[in-house]
Amino acid sequence: MRDGGEQLRVVIAEDSVILRDGLVRLLTDRGHLVVAEATNGDELREAVMGHRPDVAVVDVRMPPTHTDEGLRAAIALRDDDPRVRILVFSQYVETRSARLLLAHGAEGVGYLLKDRVAEVGEFLEALARVAAGGTVLDPEVVSQLVRADHHSSSVSALTAREREVLALMAEGRSNAGIARALFVSEGAIEKYVTAIFAKLDLPPYPDDHRRVLAVLRYLDI
Amino acid sequence: MFGLRTWSELLYAMTDLPVVGAATLSMLLALALGLTLSVTGVGLALFAAGLALAREIGGLERARARRLLGLHLDPPAWPRPAPGFLRWVGSTLADGVAWRAALYLLLRLPLAFMTWVLAAGLWAVGLADLTYPAWSHLYPQSWAGMTMDTPPRVLEVTAAGALALLAAPWVVRGAVRLSRALVGFLLGPTALSERVRTLEERRGRAVEDSEAALRRIERDLHDGPQARLTTLAMDIGRAREALAEGADPSGLLDQLLEISHQNAREALVELRNLARGIHPPILDSGLAAALETLATQSALPVDLDVSDADRPSPAIETILYFCAAELLANALKHSGGRRVRISLSGDDTSLLLRVEDDGVGGATMAGGGLCGLEDRVRTVDGRVAIRSPRGGPTVVTIEVPRHA
Repeated sequence: MRDGGEQLRVVIAEDSVILRDGLVRLLTDRGHLVVAEATNGDELREAVMGHRPDVAVVDVRMPPTHTDEGLRAAIALRDDDPRVRILVFSQYVETRSARLLLAHGAEGVGYLLKDRVAEVGEFLEALARVAAGGTVLDPEVVSQLVRADHHSSSVSALTAREREVLALMAEGRSNAGIARALFVSEGAIEKYVTAIFAKLDLPPYPDDHRRVLAVLRYLDI
Repeated sequence: MFGLRTWSELLYAMTDLPVVGAATLSMLLALALGLTLSVTGVGLALFAAGLALAREIGGLERARARRLLGLHLDPPAWPRPAPGFLRWVGSTLADGVAWRAALYLLLRLPLAFMTWVLAAGLWAVGLADLTYPAWSHLYPQSWAGMTMDTPPRVLEVTAAGALALLAAPWVVRGAVRLSRALVGFLLGPTALSERVRTLEERRGRAVEDSEAALRRIERDLHDGPQARLTTLAMDIGRAREALAEGADPSGLLDQLLEISHQNAREALVELRNLARGIHPPILDSGLAAALETLATQSALPVDLDVSDADRPSPAIETILYFCAAELLANALKHSGGRRVRISLSGDDTSLLLRVEDDGVGGATMAGGGLCGLEDRVRTVDGRVAIRSPRGGPTVVTIEVPRHA
C-alpha cells in the first residue's frame, strides 16, 4: 500500500460515470482494490452481499427517482447486518439523513459531503476510519448541530476550545485525530474531553468509537 | 311510440312530485327556520344549510334528468370553501350555484305537481276506461247524465280510454320537456363559472410546470457540471499529493492534468447549454432574432418567414421560442423530412407561429412532447392545432395572445 495503510476492498455505488471513474482511479492509485461498481440500490445490495467488501462508498442519489435511493439502500443493508461498513456521500448534507443513518448505531458508518473527495488525504483517512469500524460525520452537519443557540446552557458553558473538541468528537475522530487537527498533544485532548463530559454531565466513555454516539445523541441527532 | 323513451319519461314524471316535493319542502323548512332565527347566528347557518341542500338536490335532479331523459349536463363549478364552519356558511350564502338550485326547486314544485297530475290522471283514466267492459256491470259510470251501461256506450268509454292512452305519452312528453328546460336553464354551468374553473385548472398546470422545470434544472446541474467539477477537484487533489510525494512529473501528472483539463472544458460546455436551456440570451434581442439563430443552428434547412414587427411580451416570446425549438427538434427526430418552414405572423391581438415539415406525417397530440407544449401554450390561453395526415406534410399552428 502506498502510505503504509491496509489495502481495502471497496464497493463503489455511484450512477455518474465521470465521478465513478474518478473515484476508482483515486482508490486504485492508493493501492486499494475496487471489487465492484454499482449504479443503483439493487446493484449495491448485490455487490455488498456478494463481495463482502471492507467498506462501501455510496452516493445518496441514484436511479430511478434520483432522490435518496443510496441512503435507503445503505440503511437497509445496515438493518440486515450492522457490521457492514458504509460511507455515504451526498451533494448536500442534511441532519435528518444523518439521523436516519445513525439510528442503528454509529460503528462503521460515515456521512460526507461530496466536495470532501477533493481533499484527497482527508477522504482516504475517512474511508480507512469507517472501514476500521469508526464513525465519520461531515463537519457541515456537526457545525449545524453544535451551534450554541440550539441547546441548553450546558453547551454554551463550554469554552471555545472545548466546543472545537466537541465538534471534532462529533465528527467521529479519535483523540489522536483531534490532537493532529488542533496541533496539540494527545494528553491535552484527553483533559479537554474529560472536562467536556463533566460539564455536559455525561459519563465518560473510554472507547473512542462509542462516545461518538453519546455526543451525537446529546446534540439531538 | 310506447318504447323506452315513453316509459322513462313516465317514470320521470311520476318520481317528480315525491322527489321534488320532498326536496323543496325540506329546503323551504330550512330556509324559513333560518330566516326566522336569522337574528342569531344559528339562523344564518340553517339558511346556508338549506341552500346547500338545494345545491345537492340540484345534483340529484341532474342525475335524474340524465338517467331518465338523456340530458347530459356538466355540473356547474362552485368554489370549494376553505375549511372552517364560518367560512362554509359565508361561501354558501354567496354561492350563485346554490341560489339558482333553490330557485329551480321553487319553480319546479308547481310544475312537478302539474306533471304528476297530468301523467297519473291520463294513464289512470285511460287504463280504467280501456278496461271498462270488464267491470262496467260492477260499477257503471255515468257521463253527462247518462249511465254508460249499454254496449254502444261501453264502447264509447273504451274508445275514450284508448284515446287517452294514445295521447298520454305526448302530453307527458310535453310536460317533461318543460322540466327538462328548467333543469338545463338553472342547474347547468354558466359561462362565468366555467371560465373560473378553466382558469383554476390552468393556473394549477402552470404552477406544476414551473415546479417541474426547476426540478429538471437542479437535476441537470447535479448530474452534469457538479459531477464534473467534483471529479476535477479530486483529480487536482491527487496531482498535488503525487507531486508532494515526489512522483515523476511527466508520467502520472501529465495524465492527471489532461483528464482535468478535459473535465473543465466539458463542464463549461454543459453549463453553457444549461444556461441556454433556461434562457437563451438571444431572446433579449427579440423572437425574430432568436428564431433566426434557431434556423441557422438547425441540422435541417429552415425557411424562415417572420412578418411581424412589434414585439409581444417577453413571456410570450419565450413560450413561442421554446415551442419552435421543440417542434424543430421533433421534425428532425421523427419526420424524416428534408426542409422545415417556420413562419411568424400576427395582428393587433394575437400571434401565429406555424411550423411545417415535408416529412412522413402521422404526428399526434398523444406524444409527451406535443402534449407538454399544448399545456404550456394553454396557460396563456393560446391554442395548438396539428394537421398531420399519414404521408405528410405536418403543419403545427400555435396561436397565442400578444400579452400573457
